[in-house]
Amino acid sequence: MGVLALGSAALMLVLRQPMRVALALITTMMALGGIYGLLGVHFIAAFQVLIYVGAVMVFIVYVIMLMELREAEGNRRFSGWRVPGLVVFALLVLVLVVSVWSGGTGSLPPAASAPFSLTQFSAEFLSRYWLVFELTSVFLVAAIVAALAVIKVSRRVDG
Amino acid sequence: MISLPHTLAAIVLLPLMGFLLNGVFATALGGHRFGNRLAAIVGCGFPIAAFVLTVNALLTLQAGGYAPLIEPLYRWATIGDSTFDVTFYFDRLSAIMTLVVTGVGSVIHVYSTGYMHDDKSHGRFFAYLNLFLFFMLLLVLGRSMLVLFVGWEGVGLASYLLIGFWFDDLANARAGKKAFVTNRIGDAGFLLGMFLLYRACGTLDMDTINAVFMGLAGSVPVVSASLVGLLLFIGATGKSAQIPLFVWLPDAMAGPTPVSALIHAATMVTAGVYLVVRMSGIYMHAPEASQVMAIVGVATAFLAATIALVQTDIKKVLAYSTVSQLGFMFLALGVGAYGVAIFHVVTHAFFKACLFLGAGSVIHALGGEQDIRKMGGLRTRIPITFWTFVIATAAIAGIPGLAGFFSKDEILWYAFASSRGGSPWLWGVAAVTALMTAFYMFRLLWLTFLGPSRMDHAVEHHVHESPLSMTGVLMLLALLSAVGGYFSIPHFLEAQVPLPAIVAEREHYERTLLVVSIVLAFSGLALAALMFGGSAERPERVKRALLPLHRLLSAKFYVDELYERLLARPLVWMSEQVLLRGSDRFMLDGMLNGMAALALRSAGLLGRLQTGSLHLYSLFVMAGIVGALVWSWRHG
Amino acid sequence: MDRTQLLLGLSIALFALGLLGLIIRRNALVMLMCMELMLNGVNLSLVTFSERYADAGGAVLVFLVFIVATAEIALAIPIVLLLVRHTRSMDIGRYTDLKG
Repeated sequence: MGVLALGSAALMLVLRQPMRVALALITTMMALGGIYGLLGVHFIAAFQVLIYVGAVMVFIVYVIMLMELREAEGNRRFSGWRVPGLVVFALLVLVLVVSVWSGGTGSLPPAASAPFSLTQFSAEFLSRYWLVFELTSVFLVAAIVAALAVIKVSRRVDG
Repeated sequence: MISLPHTLAAIVLLPLMGFLLNGVFATALGGHRFGNRLAAIVGCGFPIAAFVLTVNALLTLQAGGYAPLIEPLYRWATIGDSTFDVTFYFDRLSAIMTLVVTGVGSVIHVYSTGYMHDDKSHGRFFAYLNLFLFFMLLLVLGRSMLVLFVGWEGVGLASYLLIGFWFDDLANARAGKKAFVTNRIGDAGFLLGMFLLYRACGTLDMDTINAVFMGLAGSVPVVSASLVGLLLFIGATGKSAQIPLFVWLPDAMAGPTPVSALIHAATMVTAGVYLVVRMSGIYMHAPEASQVMAIVGVATAFLAATIALVQTDIKKVLAYSTVSQLGFMFLALGVGAYGVAIFHVVTHAFFKACLFLGAGSVIHALGGEQDIRKMGGLRTRIPITFWTFVIATAAIAGIPGLAGFFSKDEILWYAFASSRGGSPWLWGVAAVTALMTAFYMFRLLWLTFLGPSRMDHAVEHHVHESPLSMTGVLMLLALLSAVGGYFSIPHFLEAQVPLPAIVAEREHYERTLLVVSIVLAFSGLALAALMFGGSAERPERVKRALLPLHRLLSAKFYVDELYERLLARPLVWMSEQVLLRGSDRFMLDGMLNGMAALALRSAGLLGRLQTGSLHLYSLFVMAGIVGALVWSWRHG
Repeated sequence: MDRTQLLLGLSIALFALGLLGLIIRRNALVMLMCMELMLNGVNLSLVTFSERYADAGGAVLVFLVFIVATAEIALAIPIVLLLVRHTRSMDIGRYTDLKG
């Protein structure tokens, strides 16, 4: 599952057409959903597939399909910063990996005994983290307002 | 005798008042509000008042058994633990000096009313003269070396202003500048000496310093008396025109004649002598410095006399004569005869002032002519001037009975026989100088007044005797030159500055030397009469025979040229090349411009980072994450 | 090498790949999708830790990320499309308005 996720992510970087890149991303997300399921957090896995793949990626795919966005033949695929990018990428991976692997799991606090459950999660969500809950609703309202504004702007631009 | 509480301060400040009043109202500054007459009254009145006060102070001093009068004025500065006060001090020495300064000063002021009558800057002249008197009085009445130094510098300033009085002629301004700069060189030595004294004695009060050096105060100074003595002497060479700093005095003749009389004959140039006598406590314990002083003094006297032999400008002859006589004074100081030196200061003031003012009278009569080759035959035309000049000349030549004879003879005697450095060699050189003095003075007399007239016709028509304001002063000074020697100043001062002991073996030479002095004086007279009394052929023949020597002397031994080559040119070169081009333009300007350029360039460089390219920004984000992680490794 | 480390490594790889893609690719839409990839990588690490310690806080954060990502995509795509319509190209290299 992990290999699949990684592989399709790498593929994303290489493919030319945006449609194909979107498909690669879908693959990655599905793979992640699978990983979540294997971990035991089924509801998160469900949400991943439902929201991310079902809403976000579908949206992207629709946009690409309906606007017929393609890369023209002559366009350059990669930006001017390939080489430095790759160099720093290597450095970053190195640094992160070393920092994660150096300690080993011994340096982390011990794992919990009971597995994670949905009931526990929803109870906490609404009691301890109720503020987050409220703020997300505010945030969604703001997003809707912003979307309306964008529509107005686009209407004006179109004349 | 009235005892006034602030007499000394009044004596000093009265001329200052005169300076301020005349300086503002009698000059262009105040719109020439005072007329000539009022300016003259103000200008002369204050010095005369000061003179009267001085006489009064002397009487007070006498009544108090000659205990010094000390008058503090105010506290000048307090720095840390040390205080510096302005205090006035009056004892026998100060009394004599102040009397000379105010007395001779006043009569010269009166003379100036006649001499400067037609000058357009009449008011400015009197203002400057009064300013000079103020500073000179500060110099002689100050208790602390600091006050003396203020006066010292101040008279230098006044001298500069007065030498360059007619500054429309650039040469006069240059002469003033030369005088000031040469003085300043000497002042460096003076200052160093002062610093050493302050460190050693903790005070700059001269009476205290003397007491310390004489061991009276109980403490022994930790500085070499000879070193201090030499440094102070360097200051004196600048002010009193000794070798090597005498070059300003002949040039100073560019100023009006009363200035030459007052400043460069009677008072300012004797400031160096006064300084040494005042600090006699140091010099009595400084045999090396005293020896140097004696040698420099006698050498200066000799050198200046040789130059005076061939000068053709009436004032220049007198200028070199002054340098020579000052050399005599330093000779006396060098052998420990301090009182005798002061004696010569006083008599010299009388006859040299008379000579200079007489020369001024001649110049006035001839409408500005100063070349003695173009004079002659004036005896009957300006008789008063002539006779006063004769008396003064006789006095300086040392004709017995007149003032100069007494003082000069004492100097010669002590040069020979003083136990503090007298030697036959010193006496010999001094004696030859005395002979030359007599000779060149009588030469001057002959060429100026006697013999057939060599004047230009236009000049000859206008020859007239000077007004009373001038001739009256001349007569007074001539009288003093005649009788001034009878009051024995060395003995008057002996209670304060003891005379040196006489070397036992030489004691019996006294009579002999006296006779020799008289012979020398008359020989000079005879030689001059011989040379210049007859036809013009004789001096010409002698000159041709000794032509190379004559040329050397006429060129004043090329001293000025030497200084120019050795000192002036390298200094100018260094200022221009090194300092102007090198440091100022190259380094300072370069640094400032360089910093500005640096700022500009780095700003340009940094500006290139903001390209607007999102890719680049993302790259930076990644690099930043790497950097942050690495940093967090390092720091735990 | 146990499960936690492995998953964390995967998470790191996904994140780094996403960032690299941001630097490398020129197409605006592709760059947006790379940002999604980054978010997913972070999500994975959050889930890993949350499951390990049975802590609800991690799961809450995961939910937050979902919501934010969705809203962001919903708005970012139209904006990009407006931009594309304006310059008639999807090439980011041509936008230099941020310069200076």
